[in-house]
Amino acid sequence: MSQTSHGIHTPFAATLLERRDLSADTALFKVAPEKAALPALSRFVPGQFVQLSVPGSGEVPISPADLPNEDGTLELCVRRVGHVTGHLHHLPAGSKLALRGPFGTGFPIREMAGHPVLLLAGGLGIAPLRSLLFHLIRHSKEFGEITLMYGARQPKLMLFREELSALAAQGKLRLYLTVDFAPEQPSGTFSCTLGLLPDLLKGFSFDAKRTYVAVCGPPPLYRCLAVELEDAGVEARQIFLSLERRMRCGVGRCCHCALGQKLCCTDGPVFRLDELKQIPEAL
Amino acid sequence: MKTSFLSKNQLPEFLKILQLFGKLHAPTVTDAGVTAFAALDDPSTLCLDYQRTQIPPKKYLIPFREELLQYRDDTYRQNEIKAPEIVLFGVHSCDLEGIAYLDLVFLGDRPDPCYSARRAGLTLVGISCEPDDFCFCNGSFNKVPCDLFLTARQDGFEISVSSTKGEAIAAAAQHLLTEVQPFPQTERPTCPIHPQDPELRFSENPLWDKFAKTCVSCGACSVCCPTCYCFDVREYPSLSGGGSRMREWDNCLFATHGEVAGGNFRPTRLERLRFRFLHKYCGFTPLDGMTSCVGCGRCKQVCPVDIDLREIIDTQPNTTPELP
Repeated sequence: MSQTSHGIHTPFAATLLERRDLSADTALFKVAPEKAALPALSRFVPGQFVQLSVPGSGEVPISPADLPNEDGTLELCVRRVGHVTGHLHHLPAGSKLALRGPFGTGFPIREMAGHPVLLLAGGLGIAPLRSLLFHLIRHSKEFGEITLMYGARQPKLMLFREELSALAAQGKLRLYLTVDFAPEQPSGTFSCTLGLLPDLLKGFSFDAKRTYVAVCGPPPLYRCLAVELEDAGVEARQIFLSLERRMRCGVGRCCHCALGQKLCCTDGPVFRLDELKQIPEAL
Repeated sequence: MKTSFLSKNQLPEFLKILQLFGKLHAPTVTDAGVTAFAALDDPSTLCLDYQRTQIPPKKYLIPFREELLQYRDDTYRQNEIKAPEIVLFGVHSCDLEGIAYLDLVFLGDRPDPCYSARRAGLTLVGISCEPDDFCFCNGSFNKVPCDLFLTARQDGFEISVSSTKGEAIAAAAQHLLTEVQPFPQTERPTCPIHPQDPELRFSENPLWDKFAKTCVSCGACSVCCPTCYCFDVREYPSLSGGGSRMREWDNCLFATHGEVAGGNFRPTRLERLRFRFLHKYCGFTPLDGMTSCVGCGRCKQVCPVDIDLREIIDTQPNTTPELP
């Protein structure tokens, strides 16, 4: 397993330990990288991404859904949507993978210290925010109140709902769930509101001046949430959004992930809203 | 202060000296009639009075396709980079500026191992040129980044040395060089390409619409640009089990450039032309505020529909509404 030289292109070997289906097309992959990857992974900040290699298919940028364990194992929440992720979904436990990173900027956990934190997740956007949530819960004394608002299209697409509900029941966070529509009858253990995330935010009273907000979701969500948050009185410099682009190299060279003059892989993927407002292509 | 001079009839001998420092490559005309940098096996095929090669010398540093990694038994290994020693002779100052820009991109933070190896093996010998209608270079001829620069004078070349490699070549060729009085510096009309205001990409210039309607997304402007380096990374499995991860030139004019699984961030030609404008004339971080256009004129010459993005800069829209 050992590799002698690690250039910027060479990934560390990793093994797929287990997979757990979260919805019809999304699963949580537990990945164990080789020891040599640990020094880099130990510096992981929630919101950063790793480049996951599926041998024979290629590389995809994935933002871990959990903080790396001490032994380096990572949880990656991946939707089957393209060439590489399609192959990943067919792999049995024990398969060989590889990964580089972490890359990019994460959420500003130091700056958030002492402040209430509001997490806004839309759909698969829960994945990067879950690692931030775990960080906040693990260091809850350093932060103010933690709130997660999570919107999905329908109840069966809501990822981690039992886990999140359990954490909320333990008083670790305030949890608000919402779905766009509910074709199925929600079971007795699960209840949520019907409506879009911005609607949920409308009825929410919080200390807007002091709150830091972390947002991750599909692009259309950002446009309306940004307006709602600012209307509620949150400063644009306290709102952080995680953006998705086609990051190929991860080190600021291939140019696919440019937004305006910024590169998502090195200047992002987590950006401040006031920074993004200067970039018309960004949102 | 004297200057070194190489008389024209000593050029063949000088080329032989250059070959001591690596495989000699120079501008030639291919069988297909295309001017190209290629190995100069037969010195008579040297074409020094060329305007521009179709593909710039970036091909020596970023090959169209190169192997980054190999994987076997599901383990990725970095390919050992065997960069040949190459002496690239007869490079115009615009192309040298282009290489200097690529150096900033690939040798800056987290240097690229493949580029670094190729660059270390490349010796650059520049030569002065005569501009044509497509040229619009900076004309910074006195400080072009290279090892040795030849300025054409009557019956020969004035030689300026600008690196230790260049000094070594000049020393080896000492018997061919003569010491002469310095030549008077000749001024040449130049058209400096200043970094542009990024807001220009959203200017209400009607040219944007016109260009977006005519652009055929062929990507020729980017292929032949000395500073275009966008790349894609693809994996090619082999039937025997292993495979390669390759880095290939990509092109910001192609619809696939802004694609992600499930969407596209630059689906229209207008967006892609804006992207190109921004990268060429405003720069991406960490080189923002820096133009990467060196004025070689290739994009203008090769565009099949006569798009010249510089017109956006030159022709500011008339803001006064026309009276009916």
